[in-house]
Amino acid sequence: MNSMTGQANTVNLQGNKACALGAVAAGCRFFAGYPITPSSEIAENLAKELPAVGGVFLQMEDEIASMAATLGASMGGIKAMTATSGPGFSLKQENLGYGMGAEIPCVVVNVMRGGPSTGLPTRPAQGDIMQTRWGTHGDHPVIVLAPGSVEEIYQQTARAFALSEKLRTPVIVLFDESLGHLVETVALPDVADYEKTVRKWATGKPEDYKPYHGDADGVPPMARPGDGFRVHTSGLTVAENGFPTQKPHEVDALMKRLLGKVALNNDLIESFEAVECKDAEVVIVALGVVGRAARKAVKELREAGIKAGLFRPVTLWPFPTESFRKQTAKARHIIVAEMNAGQLIHEIAEVKTGKQKVTGLNRYDGVPISPVDIKKTVKEVLGHE
Amino acid sequence: MAKAKKQNPVLVPESKKLDPANMTEPVNILVVGVGGQGVIMVSKVLAQICQNLGYQVKQSEVHGMAKRGGVVFSHVRFGQQVWSPTIPVGKADVLIALEWAEGLRWMNYLRPDSGVFIADTKRIVPPFACRSRALGAEIGYSKDTPDDVKAKVCEAFAIDATEMAAKAGNERAANTLLLGALSTTLTFPTSEWKEVIARMVPPKTVDVNLSVFDQGQKWIDGSRRGEPVEGGAFVPLVQPEVNPERTMLEITAEWCKGCDICVKMCPERCLVLNKDQVAELAEPEKCTGCHICEWLCPDFAISLNPVSQEAAE
Amino acid sequence: MNKQVALKADDAKKTADGKEFNIRDYLRLDLFPHFMCPGCGHGIALRALLWAIHEQGIDKDKLAVVCGIGCSGRVGGYIDANTFHTTHGRPLAYATGLKMARPDLHVVVITGDGDCLAIGGNHLIHAARRNLDITCLMLNNEIYGMTGGQGSPTTPRDRFTTTTPAGNREPVFDACKLAEAAGAGYVGREVTIHLPRLRDLIAGGLAHKGFSFIEVMSDCTEVNGRKNDLGSSPEMVLGQTRTMRPPDYEYDSNVVDHPFRPSGLHTGVFVQSDRPEYGAAYRDMSEKLQQGRTKP
Ligand SMILES: Cc1ncc(C[n+]2csc(CCOP(=O)(O)OP(=O)(O)O)c2C)c(N)n1
Ligand code: SF4
Ligand code: SF4
Ligand code: SF4
Ligand SMILES: [Mg+2]
Repeated sequence: MNSMTGQANTVNLQGNKACALGAVAAGCRFFAGYPITPSSEIAENLAKELPAVGGVFLQMEDEIASMAATLGASMGGIKAMTATSGPGFSLKQENLGYGMGAEIPCVVVNVMRGGPSTGLPTRPAQGDIMQTRWGTHGDHPVIVLAPGSVEEIYQQTARAFALSEKLRTPVIVLFDESLGHLVETVALPDVADYEKTVRKWATGKPEDYKPYHGDADGVPPMARPGDGFRVHTSGLTVAENGFPTQKPHEVDALMKRLLGKVALNNDLIESFEAVECKDAEVVIVALGVVGRAARKAVKELREAGIKAGLFRPVTLWPFPTESFRKQTAKARHIIVAEMNAGQLIHEIAEVKTGKQKVTGLNRYDGVPISPVDIKKTVKEVLGHE
Repeated sequence: MAKAKKQNPVLVPESKKLDPANMTEPVNILVVGVGGQGVIMVSKVLAQICQNLGYQVKQSEVHGMAKRGGVVFSHVRFGQQVWSPTIPVGKADVLIALEWAEGLRWMNYLRPDSGVFIADTKRIVPPFACRSRALGAEIGYSKDTPDDVKAKVCEAFAIDATEMAAKAGNERAANTLLLGALSTTLTFPTSEWKEVIARMVPPKTVDVNLSVFDQGQKWIDGSRRGEPVEGGAFVPLVQPEVNPERTMLEITAEWCKGCDICVKMCPERCLVLNKDQVAELAEPEKCTGCHICEWLCPDFAISLNPVSQEAAE
Repeated sequence: MNKQVALKADDAKKTADGKEFNIRDYLRLDLFPHFMCPGCGHGIALRALLWAIHEQGIDKDKLAVVCGIGCSGRVGGYIDANTFHTTHGRPLAYATGLKMARPDLHVVVITGDGDCLAIGGNHLIHAARRNLDITCLMLNNEIYGMTGGQGSPTTPRDRFTTTTPAGNREPVFDACKLAEAAGAGYVGREVTIHLPRLRDLIAGGLAHKGFSFIEVMSDCTEVNGRKNDLGSSPEMVLGQTRTMRPPDYEYDSNVVDHPFRPSGLHTGVFVQSDRPEYGAAYRDMSEKLQQGRTKP
């Protein structure tokens, strides 16, 4: 019992540590990483946690190797994860794409810091929103979860494992330095269901098994080495039997299924938070830590008689388009508040259906967007009408 | 282009030669073969001539991983205005094949009503040509004869270009011989062709190349006029024999790439490459069963059968 | 430490469980003939590997072959086992994750001179340092074969490649020395023409508990051979040593006279050490921690 909150099972927890604990609770038994601020605490915590539960912790020689080793472990059949920040995330891209193409479950955490290049290692930013979507080359399916609190980091990291196992694809967990280093009192949510979710294993006769033939949900069962299937895994474009193909119809079928499996399972993937959107004239779109400032701003604006609302995608990619459209149906204004020079705003401008005017609120000075910034922009927007 | 339609399936009158100056659509020439044959050189020469004559040219190529035996093809399109670099199926005016089976594979690219098929009868059995890769299966290399082909396209020429070029002194000039054949389908002046060829081939081989170019032209012209032409006979591919009684040494002909390693490494000199470049045990009685050929065959095409080895002892 | 292997008549009958080695038991036959060029040494290296696997009695279901990108990287796909064709230069990193996750699998890496020493050089050093139980075969054809013949970190001086049109002036890596210095538990080199010795070298690597690095001198007949007038396929294989006759397998010196390396190329086992294997060391620590945690 926590004396402050009166709740059971509450702890004071840092965001990065919550990420590590959420992973272990979801059944993660492998981590490979390379030190980088502001994500190192995830590795440090897992270095302690994993061997104690019979899992593997590896500090690799760089982020490329970390991503590769994570995929290698997952192909061996265990839940695996890696974590990094901007420069390291860039290095992981080629192999991340391998995971998406060869359909290998794993979780990749990116704790964002200011960029470009080495940028602001200890300051928060949201400059990787588009890199998480388009970072690796070629068309590829993407799932990105963007928690907005320490508790959500714990929960969404665990959920990332479940989604990645279920859909046989890497899932990215995206938050920023300020959340990673934030310590708050949290009640740890129950993630037992996520822990129970494991990929579909191939069964039946090995000679009938096609490693890249999707079931009704678009996801093919995976063969575990040692179970007698002896399959081939490749980064080349493959036919259903797992061997390379260049036949246009086979390539087309593979790509349609690969890209389609995310769309097909959108109900499972989608998640967002909507605050006071129903009658809102102004809807603020904010991600992660900015959602916190926006929530406060909405409350204060409402108190001042301004009909403001908040739409916070928790699943960043695929963007919860339909829900967003519903929530902003009544709005005249959409303000996209993000800690970058304008990335999410492009998606919003593309998916909005009404006549809403879209305005960007951007900060990229290493300082989080504050409720004051948001209120000011809302008032400016309404005043300028 | 529709103008080029004609009834007679065999002879193309001079006047029906392709003349991009009088055509609204681009002329489409498809050149195919396998790596190492000079497909790219054919399309380069053609593209250069078109450029010299003031046409727009687009040329796109695909090499099969830069390996011998890999498929190589090149699309050449030229005319007053050319947009896309690739030729759609059924739109090629001429298909030049430096290798017989490759030609057959691409035949559906030819215009059904007016396309001209010009192919070297040279057969390079590439791994890809094996229709069934099951052990002991027959080589699935196309068995279509030139007559079969003629029935399928508007006009077809099967020339022993490689053999003729070899006789003229350089096997590698076969592609120039085919250029000579190609030149008969276009209105471009012969001098223009020769000038570009002379510039593009290695200096030492200019004479050979120009002479086989003439041969190619003459061959087509002659055969169009119905004259008997030499070097057009079709050479069928011989199926390598598989001895039904398992010999001590077994060669999986479908896997052999004719690298010659086994032949040269056999201490007893009992292996040879047959005329299809497939290893054969020519003198079984000399074979000692030493395994060297089996071990060093990079394609696992040789196995020594231990059962019969014991029987032989 | 050098291992001498003589070619004997009964070499061919070496067995595991008394069963004769038949390479077709280990191949995905429906993919044959394979894609490699006529005479390519990678095929011979593959035979040696499969033979060694047979000799060691390794179950195909428990065999994981992790490859990089290149002609060498395509070799693994022909093996009837759990095969992984990964990204360029990274197979050792993938294999590290796989082996740590699944210590029950035999993990073999097949890589090329470019894959292993250029783009993947860092992973080689650290795999050797960790000394995790992986057998790494580097097929050294002294060139980038797959991409059409560019210079690699092992391209000898004066050799012509598409990126060294006037002859190579960059010095080469001695990959075995590199692996040895970085801590690999088992290091050796062999040429493909000495197939039985290559097989035994690999078998030694498979049996060794720790990181085994085996450099296989392989002929790229099509690109390297042609560009440098190294002769026909048999001439290239023959060039690896002085003579081909069986008695010549029994020789005293372990130096193969390599026509492209006037100084001579050392072959054989160079290192066989009992440095602790990392996987076992890690699991030992993990077990102690688990006991500590379950104790009240
Ligand atoms: C990141 C990346 N860079 C470059 C390439 C292109 N590439 C493919 S294979 C190869 C070289 C392979 O050479 P080597 O490892 O020596 O193998 P070989 O083909 O000679 O057996 C290169 C550079 C690639 N696939 N990926
Ligand atoms: S087994 Fe020996 S003797 Fe017989 S063909 Fe092969 S190399 Fe020659
Ligand atoms: S070594 Fe093998 S591939 Fe080469 S010629 Fe002999 S049988 Fe054919
Ligand atoms: S290019 Fe060289 S290395 Fe590649 S398959 Fe051909 S001969 Fe072998
Ligand atoms: Mg190489």
